[in-house]
Amino acid sequence: MKCDEIKDLMLDVAAGAGEPTPALNEHLLGCADCTGKLEDMRKTMALLDDWQAPEPSPYFDTRLAARMREERAKPERVNWFSWFRMPVLAGALALVLMMAGGVSWFTRERNPSQIAGKNPTVPIVVIQPGTAVGDLQALDKNEDLYANFDLLDDLQVQPDVDADQETP
Amino acid sequence: MQLSDSDGVDTDVSSVAMDQELLAMGSIGAQPTADRPPFAGSAAGLTDADIMLRVKAGDESAFEYLVQKYRRPMVGFMYRMSHNAAAAEDLAQEVFLRVYRSRSGYEASAKFTTWLYRIATNLAVNHARDTRNERPEKMASLDEPDEETGTTMDVADSSLTVEESMVRRERMAAIRAKVQALPERQRVAVLMHKYQQMDYKQIAEVLKLSESATKSLLFRAYETLREQLKEFV
Repeated sequence: MKCDEIKDLMLDVAAGAGEPTPALNEHLLGCADCTGKLEDMRKTMALLDDWQAPEPSPYFDTRLAARMREERAKPERVNWFSWFRMPVLAGALALVLMMAGGVSWFTRERNPSQIAGKNPTVPIVVIQPGTAVGDLQALDKNEDLYANFDLLDDLQVQPDVDADQETP
Repeated sequence: MQLSDSDGVDTDVSSVAMDQELLAMGSIGAQPTADRPPFAGSAAGLTDADIMLRVKAGDESAFEYLVQKYRRPMVGFMYRMSHNAAAAEDLAQEVFLRVYRSRSGYEASAKFTTWLYRIATNLAVNHARDTRNERPEKMASLDEPDEETGTTMDVADSSLTVEESMVRRERMAAIRAKVQALPERQRVAVLMHKYQQMDYKQIAEVLKLSESATKSLLFRAYETLREQLKEFV
């Protein structure tokens, strides 16, 4: 056994946690350096025992009780990220996202007017006003406006009537 | 492995707690519940992890049991990490508060003590970093009380002569200073090994190291202490 190989054993023996093995004893008999180190390490560990920690003060429990009361009085914090740790919810969320993505993709595929704006291979047909198609589209788009034209006419007539009355 | 009995977890803590009737009284601020018996009487045969799972399930008396069991070792560990008795109590209380806050996320995959000391180590290391500049090294003095414990050497041990007291005080100051001067991981490992009676496996789990790396770490730490405390042994 070499000096480097007895490190772990030396630690346990110095700490009083284990008896020296025959191999360690054999090495120590022939190695004054390791024997000295082991003895010093024992003494060092014994020296460290002098460092005593104080007992918890009599107020420790009282103070902790007060802090615990405060803690319990706080509204419970909701950790939103904890939802993602639940496999079922994470799977459901992934499914919803996939469905939303699928619907979005499918809708775009079925709407050629959007594709026409973004796909350079599809020619853009400009419909001129005055043509039959143009007029029909204008009527369709402005249906509300045309439906209320009568009201606009009435508004225009009323001031004229008032003006006639004021005229001597 | 039991190295030093002074600050370790007592094996009969549960019986002490029962005798004190602390748990039944709700000593940690919980309101006693009529439908739930005090916990300590039913702790036999349960591991700390089992008890923590009961805390997770809402059993407040189980939490009180764990506090009573670990308050002393936790204050001792924090004292040696912070070198300040008042700060040690604050930090130990903070550890228990964090345990309580984290109860819903507790998984019994690791030992309870590993989880507890990981919380404690993080807290203590952060505290040490935050207050690094607030603790100038002081010369030992017989006339002034120890700022860490609040006691003078005379009070601590009246049987010693003035000279013996001075030597003892210097020795204590040297031990504290040399342990404090160890690299962070080595310091934590030594404190857990020497004063908390934790074995290599537990220390390795807390420090997230392999067992062999932990042994090497400890060996290096004790070698350093052996060299630096040579004049006191």
